[in-house]
Amino acid sequence: MAAATALSACGGGGDGAVTPAPAPAPAAAPITDAQASRFLGQAAFGATDPLIGRVKALGYSAWLDEQLAQPIGPSRYDWMVAQGHAVEANISAFTGADNALWRKLIASPDVLRQRVALALSEIFVVSMAGLPVLWRGLLVTAYADLLETHCFASYRSLLEAVTLSPAMGVYLNMRGNQREDLATGRVPDENFAREVLQLFTIGLQELNTDGSLRGGAATETYGPDTISNLAKVFTGWDFDNATRTDFAYVKRPMLFNAARHSVAEKRFLGTTIAAGTDGRVALGMALDTIAKHANVAPFIGRQLIQRLVASHPSAAYVGRVSAVFNNNGAGQHGDLKAVIKAVLLDPEARSVDIASPSASPSPTAGKLREPVVRLVQWARTFGLASPTDLWNLGNQSDPATRLGQSPLRAPSVFNFFRPGYVPPNSALGTQGVTAPEFQITNESTVMGWANYAQTFVASGIGETRPDYSAELALATDAPALVRRVVLLLAADALPAATETLISAAVASISAATDTGKRNRVYAAIHLVLCAPDYLVQV
Amino acid sequence: MKYTRVTDLQRSARRAFLRRAGHLGLAGVAAPWALNLAALAEASAQTVATDYKALVCVFLYGANDHGNTIVPYDLASHNAYAAIRGSIATARDSLAATALTPRAPLPAGRQMALAPELAPIKPLFDNGQLALLLNVGTLIQPTTLAQYNARSVPLPPKLFSHNDQQSVWQSSLPEGSTSGWGGRIGDLFMAGNGNATFSCVNASGNAVFMSGREAVQYQVSSAGSVAMRGLQSPLFGSAACTSALRSLVTAPHSHLMRSEYTRITSRAIAADAALTSALATAPALATPFAAGNSLAQQLAMVARIIGARQALGAKRQVFFVSLGGFDLHDFLVAQHPGLLGNVASALASFQAVMTELGVARQVTSFTASDFGRTLTSNGDGSDHGWGSHHLVMGGAVNGGRFYGQLPDVSVNGAHDVGQGRLLPTTSVDQLAATLASWMGVASTDLALVAPNIGHYTQRDLGFLSA
Repeated sequence: MAAATALSACGGGGDGAVTPAPAPAPAAAPITDAQASRFLGQAAFGATDPLIGRVKALGYSAWLDEQLAQPIGPSRYDWMVAQGHAVEANISAFTGADNALWRKLIASPDVLRQRVALALSEIFVVSMAGLPVLWRGLLVTAYADLLETHCFASYRSLLEAVTLSPAMGVYLNMRGNQREDLATGRVPDENFAREVLQLFTIGLQELNTDGSLRGGAATETYGPDTISNLAKVFTGWDFDNATRTDFAYVKRPMLFNAARHSVAEKRFLGTTIAAGTDGRVALGMALDTIAKHANVAPFIGRQLIQRLVASHPSAAYVGRVSAVFNNNGAGQHGDLKAVIKAVLLDPEARSVDIASPSASPSPTAGKLREPVVRLVQWARTFGLASPTDLWNLGNQSDPATRLGQSPLRAPSVFNFFRPGYVPPNSALGTQGVTAPEFQITNESTVMGWANYAQTFVASGIGETRPDYSAELALATDAPALVRRVVLLLAADALPAATETLISAAVASISAATDTGKRNRVYAAIHLVLCAPDYLVQV
Repeated sequence: MKYTRVTDLQRSARRAFLRRAGHLGLAGVAAPWALNLAALAEASAQTVATDYKALVCVFLYGANDHGNTIVPYDLASHNAYAAIRGSIATARDSLAATALTPRAPLPAGRQMALAPELAPIKPLFDNGQLALLLNVGTLIQPTTLAQYNARSVPLPPKLFSHNDQQSVWQSSLPEGSTSGWGGRIGDLFMAGNGNATFSCVNASGNAVFMSGREAVQYQVSSAGSVAMRGLQSPLFGSAACTSALRSLVTAPHSHLMRSEYTRITSRAIAADAALTSALATAPALATPFAAGNSLAQQLAMVARIIGARQALGAKRQVFFVSLGGFDLHDFLVAQHPGLLGNVASALASFQAVMTELGVARQVTSFTASDFGRTLTSNGDGSDHGWGSHHLVMGGAVNGGRFYGQLPDVSVNGAHDVGQGRLLPTTSVDQLAATLASWMGVASTDLALVAPNIGHYTQRDLGFLSA
């Protein structure tokens, strides 16, 4: 919404650039519009005129500091309640949840926080596909709020918040998990114990700080005994008063019930928790042990690089991010603010010189933009607004007709795609290049994207509408129109010949009528959204 | 089975494939069987099919609770089962209508029943088109409980981990593997198919099972292939924009990710044209598939493609469909029956439509899953296990029978690696080899499909006839 207003206000500028506001702290080296746009494709959901101006004025690092200092806006949960979704009729439905999630992704001004929170939702996965409990719509939005609350805190605090969140409690079954019962043979459930290690913290194999295998060969980080011991730690926790009338339980951490906790001794990852230790103390000891494991920095660091910058980062890049993860410079471990800055300011993130037409990026640099990010980028760049504040973008999971991906709707805890995915039968596969987003890129989704983009570019989604006033002002000048769209969406990554091809095609549409002008804008945006030079950000 | 000698062209294409595959393997992608490949390259039987056969893998994502799928029914076994499972056990009296009378009785007076929700497929068992495979799972080689406990033989990597065991089940390697045994069967037959694109068809997304070393899985939606609208009529009213779009989405690139994206798009455009035209020639299907049942809708699409097999020039096809939601650590009693009901409805419709198309004996369907689950309960569900029971269905199935070894109903029994997790007594490689042989893969080529089959003397489980 803020973006929409700003875009309209500065529409009509011939090359899409704006005069930056007086810079409080000018960057050491001047940043071009294209470089700012490229940076915003990694640190935000792409460029707008005001965002480009701000990055150029402050420089990358100071812009990140400004974003990191932004306060958290009103919560999704509060919006759900205010919209009247916390009513008996929705007790077993997700009504309003997609709306709340899209609304923040598209309209919340704290772009870095929103981008990082989305990334975390694809690492610490909870999905609407597995929350069969009361007030599930509020539950999933409260979980998204929780990720947003902790995404600039310490990794250890994020891990604890996730562990005790009622949403994760349901999704991976820690909620209600009971101590062993020798008489009946009942044993604690192992799901959370297994996935917290495999997916949220250390992964399956011992790693060096640069993400390579320790000792050059696969050494497993844990075995079945580790899991069965750790599962006992995660017993005794349940919802804090989840009832048909108290929907606010979704915001409260789970509560400990000593009667259901295993008091047995637990041994895992070199730590021993003595028999009889208080369950809350045991949980803290377990999370301390896990969070301090040497694998965490490269395992989580590489995934954050993959979500924001590059699918197949070099070991050196992972190593530099890991070093910051392990020590932020002030001796603190897991300072996510520092880690995010390290990911986005790394030479490997900043190095590709897209401003130079002759520059040819490494054939494995960058990443395929994931469909949700593409949609949000289009929406933010062109000021998508919901006049009713309803944000009816809905469930976008259908691969043939929509995005094939929708926030907080992964098919399982293994996310939409895996960090280690290597596309088979391809040059990427031959070279062993990890490219997670290709796991959901197939004969249906590539066609689905082109078709869906054709629709939403022209018509919006639901009641939402884009604001193309700045682009319409350029409609009679096809090259200038395409220039602006290429800068904003693709950070000038399209070769000149491709831009010319698009310009010529756009120019074939008569601009003599308002309809013709609109079609020129639609065609320029749609063709860029379908261009591989856009789809893969370098 | 009817075969003719292949042409020189096909033979040389196949040799080239094997050389490339071998080269890839030696490069480190698939080292365990790379040497096999090289050795087999010239020796393997060179045949190509003239008739039609297809395999359909029905994958139950999340790990199906086999304990409540194929349920102990004789009084003693059910008592043991109920005592172990407690609140998640299925009551014996609800199993009476689905209790099975196999053509060869189970040992020691044992009797098993299908879950009540599987009633729609019980007639297939009774008429011999459905067989049950007992305690199948991932293994490197035959493994005893003592060997497992002592870790004295190689074991599949990352046991009990969903994504890795899905991958091991489908490909024999953990996550990151790039070819599966469905795709590797496709490799051996794609040269004989009129359009190689339709050798391995996935109606449910992406699964390593369907990627061969050469064969690419073609991913189709339940509604069929998707056309790119902007290429079919002038884009925003402009033929020049349509032309530009076609150029943008298909032009080659030097960047590997951009190149892969346009490669997929080019394939999608060509496949959509071929499939749309083939489906237009295929007979309409009289058999209904349940609406709102995603598995049924995927199988309906598979059935339509099988109906179009002649127009597609298809001789051997492998299909993949799936249903998720089986990881029921909690809510097992509330949710598992509904899932099984969807499986039964989908399978019953599919087998009926295969009969309708006259290909009941030419299409074999089988279930698969990440792994089995614990026999013990956590109070509301079951945990990750290993071996599991599975279904195999089709006119060529020697049905009405159980295959494999029926495990004890006990915790700490002869095949329990803990909490009633079954140590498999039949390996996925044996299942793969049996299905591959039926498709026509020569015995000398089985290791190309099932890399661990060399560790087994029984390479055909006997549940299929030609």
